[in-house]
Amino acid sequence: MTKKKEAHLKEADLLQAVVDEADLPASLQEHLKACRLCRHEKDRLERALTELGDRAEHFAPSLRRRVALPVRGSTRRALPWYWNWRRTLVAGMVTAVAAVIVVYGAISVKNLEEAELAALTQEMWEDDLFMIEVSALSENALPLFCSDVSGESYPDFDEEFIDFVVPSTETDLVSCGGGGVKC
Amino acid sequence: MVHLDQAKSQPPLAGNGVQVTSLVKLARDGDRAAFGRLVELFQEPIFRMVYYRTRSRMDAEDLTQDIFVKAFKGLSKLRDLERFRTWLFRMAVNRVTDFYRKKRLLAIFKTRDHDSEADPKDVEAQQDPSALDDVIKEEFWKLVTSFSNTLSRREKEVFFLRFMDHLSIREIAQVLDKSESAVKTHLYRGLKKFKEDASLLQLLEASRP
Repeated sequence: MTKKKEAHLKEADLLQAVVDEADLPASLQEHLKACRLCRHEKDRLERALTELGDRAEHFAPSLRRRVALPVRGSTRRALPWYWNWRRTLVAGMVTAVAAVIVVYGAISVKNLEEAELAALTQEMWEDDLFMIEVSALSENALPLFCSDVSGESYPDFDEEFIDFVVPSTETDLVSCGGGGVKC
Repeated sequence: MVHLDQAKSQPPLAGNGVQVTSLVKLARDGDRAAFGRLVELFQEPIFRMVYYRTRSRMDAEDLTQDIFVKAFKGLSKLRDLERFRTWLFRMAVNRVTDFYRKKRLLAIFKTRDHDSEADPKDVEAQQDPSALDDVIKEEFWKLVTSFSNTLSRREKEVFFLRFMDHLSIREIAQVLDKSESAVKTHLYRGLKKFKEDASLLQLLEASRP
């Protein structure tokens, strides 16, 4: 046996050989083929792994309920029994939530309409008040305290009354007799 | 006992790959009988695969049923007919992942279902008449569980697919959608931990003649 062959595979190489022997360097592959000890170590590990698979298969229970294909055009029968009541429960909950949303929505819309109507009435009333104010201003734009000065606040004092209080100058000349130049 | 050399020489699962491909083609064209034949060929390996991960016969049966129903519905989407087996295993891996996700969620809310459900292992033990077999079986699964707890999620998946479900490295790469080198890396790490697990190794070696 050469010196090269005497250098046995390290544990890492051995594990690498179990994963994939082809990944080992060529020299190690050659050694593995020639060295009975290394070969034995590798086989030992591989046998343990085979045993693991075999035992797992042996100790696994057998399939009692065979797979059933879904009925043509429907998958309902293939589903587990508890699936249906769960679906029904979910569907019921969704329906209830939808109903609550619809009722709440309808009430909200109704409240909204009433509120809108009240606001509209209030707005119209305010518009009316505003137009009354505008009309009053177009009649007399002066403020109330100015009315006294302008005489606008005494509408009952007509022209006859004014003439009585302040007679015209023509009347004065007639009353002065023959001494007047203008007569 | 089957040696690795013998196991390697065994044909992949359900015999002839060409036969499987032709069955898949027929099933994809709407032949229910062909799909039924595929179910017959693959239901046991898929059931076992799921059982190794759930350790519950009832759950494994339910999940196997779901997987085949999904396969039946989604067969038209399968492009490469030769990959039916890996496609089926991929579906199974995803389904088991979903199962555990749901189980964790249920555990958070502690639903009635979860609490009241009898342990399937206990039910099974009651049904099985052989007590000694149960002890050996229980011991084996206990050691496998203990070993699998030392592995990371990916290491466990790769290790189980390789040595318990007997998939090749290429098939595992297809199932997990990983590169072959990534699969080999995980496998290497898993093997290292397997070799370090003296109790499981001892049990497996002791049972050999």
